[in-house]
Amino acid sequence: MTAAGVHQAASGAGSAPAARPGPAWLRLAWLYLVSRRAPTALVLLAGCGALLWAALHLHWTVAGGPAAQMLFPLVTEAGAAAVIAATTYGPFGEPERATGRRLPYLRLGVTVGLTAAAIGTLAIGSTGGYLPGGLAAMARNVAGITGVGLLCAVVLGGMLAWTGPIAYWVLAEGALANGLTTPWVWPARPPLDRGGAICACLVFVTGLVLITVRGVHESVRDTTT
Amino acid sequence: MTAATDAPVRRPLAPAGGAVPLTAARLLRLELRHNAMPWLLPLIAALFWFDSYRPSTSMPPYWVLRTFWNMGQGATIIDFAPFVAGAAAWVGSRDGRRGTADLVTAAARPRWAVQLAAWAATAIWAVGGYLAFVGVLFAVYAHQGVRGEPPWWWVAVGAAAVLAFSAAGFAVGALYPSRFAAPLAAFGAVFAMLMSSRIGFSHTSGWAQILPTNSNGNFQPDSGMLYPWLPDLPIARIMFLAGITVAALCLLGLPAAAGGPRLRRAAAVATVAGLAAAGAAAGLAGTARLGPHGLVIPALHDAASDRPIANVPDCEGSGFRVCLNPDYRPELTAVTAALAPVVREVAGLPGAPTRATQVAAAYSAGEGQGGQAMTISGRPPVLGMPLGALGIPGAFGWTDGEVAGQLRLLFVHAFVGAGTSIGTPAQQAVQAALLQGAGLPIARQPNLLASAGLWSLARTTGGPAPGPPPATGPVYAVARRLAAMSAGARHAWLAAHLAALRADHLTLAQLP
Repeated sequence: MTAAGVHQAASGAGSAPAARPGPAWLRLAWLYLVSRRAPTALVLLAGCGALLWAALHLHWTVAGGPAAQMLFPLVTEAGAAAVIAATTYGPFGEPERATGRRLPYLRLGVTVGLTAAAIGTLAIGSTGGYLPGGLAAMARNVAGITGVGLLCAVVLGGMLAWTGPIAYWVLAEGALANGLTTPWVWPARPPLDRGGAICACLVFVTGLVLITVRGVHESVRDTTT
Repeated sequence: MTAATDAPVRRPLAPAGGAVPLTAARLLRLELRHNAMPWLLPLIAALFWFDSYRPSTSMPPYWVLRTFWNMGQGATIIDFAPFVAGAAAWVGSRDGRRGTADLVTAAARPRWAVQLAAWAATAIWAVGGYLAFVGVLFAVYAHQGVRGEPPWWWVAVGAAAVLAFSAAGFAVGALYPSRFAAPLAAFGAVFAMLMSSRIGFSHTSGWAQILPTNSNGNFQPDSGMLYPWLPDLPIARIMFLAGITVAALCLLGLPAAAGGPRLRRAAAVATVAGLAAAGAAAGLAGTARLGPHGLVIPALHDAASDRPIANVPDCEGSGFRVCLNPDYRPELTAVTAALAPVVREVAGLPGAPTRATQVAAAYSAGEGQGGQAMTISGRPPVLGMPLGALGIPGAFGWTDGEVAGQLRLLFVHAFVGAGTSIGTPAQQAVQAALLQGAGLPIARQPNLLASAGLWSLARTTGGPAPGPPPATGPVYAVARRLAAMSAGARHAWLAAHLAALRADHLTLAQLP
């Protein structure tokens, strides 16, 4: 590894918030957000919202009945969840764990904040046209699939965390095509279905608790961004 | 003692010609050992089982039907593409993420060559995994006694697609070295496949045939049974995907840090060549025309592919012989039993067939081949049945009863001389009466006509198809009168008037 790599600061890390005196907690939160590339994630989440808007506005649908109409919205939801999952791991590894007393709060706050941002941007994107299932189903799907991504981050590490949401999309696509209605595949359930909502919430809360308490599984080989 | 004496004995340098491949092989071996792709193969295997294998088991044991979704509509590619693209992006972004790009650029080998080695390792794992999974899938099918010939060309298309997604994902990772490269590439792959399905399902001809999930007019029975799979479209698709692969990889050879001027010029030429190949392939797909055995691309077509597959038919029945292609052997008893009531009903009448034989189904532009008619020709008359174009029990929701009714209907339809149209009112009335005699009540016949595709032929206006009409009106009134006659009287009337009926010389009013 070159010295350039070591000295290279994360974009924005050494700029205004670090230079200016201010509340320590604000600076800490900002540094944490930058180390997790949260600003980039917000841009990508906005991109998911824009894509959903385009899909609904331009009537991008796949032939094959009502279930097939959900595929484009679902892929933007899975994409948003994959982006959130990718923000979970940090570049500092063990030193950060050993010294960061407030780390669990930061993890919790950033994950909840990004999930809310994802739901918000997709809600804005849904103004482009008719969203199958409505906002309730979208929020349920985003939360649930984000939970899958968080669980993947805990088990597999940040490197492979994105595989969870993408795999879940493939699973849901197959379930929708074949008429499976298990509540664990919540996108295949009606918007206000209790079973689907419970499963999605359960997965999200479990993922959130684990990522807050334990953090991501650290990989020796891939801890740098 | 001099320093020279103390120095360890150096092995002589290998000749330059042999050192380069050896170094490349070592590099590739290192990349293969440290690649991210193998970690994803278990996950892909689980999804492959769920999405590609499990739904196919509900289809009858014919290669073309078993592989309709996983090969024809590209489900295997959908299962692989996002993970291959994501893993390749992760590998491609490695130098950028770790800040080792400068180090690699200053190394002995050009950076582009090192990148190609990393991509090659990913591609080997990905394509190897794809071929292994498809191999297991096909072995399971073969063990289950699936009949016909496997669609090997579509397997090659799938492997080419996996290769293309690995190259595209790698390029994304190399050009945008970030933690988001892998999820972005995976998301892009899913989105690309969705767009492929969206465009492909609504296009039955033109450039959209190049899309790997488009099954319109290119994946139907009797391919692999009565005639070979046509390789024209798969060749065009492989050319398209290979072009994308080359263009994506050679794009990485263009920056100044990629290598020397000669290498970069070569990369530029190869990028243009790759894009040209992809464009030419899409253009070739645009020239495709629908032939009886599939899509024919004149520039790629080999006349040898048109030859039917030689076979000795399997036959059953004592008086009225029913002969099918040996691959359709499991249907023989059911087909013979389904035709028997109609055979009894028309026995002794002019033009009544003495045997039935399977004929090759012709491809149609859509996803299926519904509504192809049976024919009666020759002396003695023989009933020709395009079974591949008809419903088969278990395929796409067809039941045994529906299939039997369909066979009887199409037999009678051919017998009254209605050909490929819905027939004249007189022919329809006689058809309904004969079907009633063969055990199909008139009240159930509108549904049967709709399921066999004959009802749609009668519609003259567009818009959503209404449900089949009830069995009322003048045609069914005459049919009920004809069916109410004694068998002998009806037989005598038909014997006297069948020729006029087939020649469209009878009106409804002239029927008894």
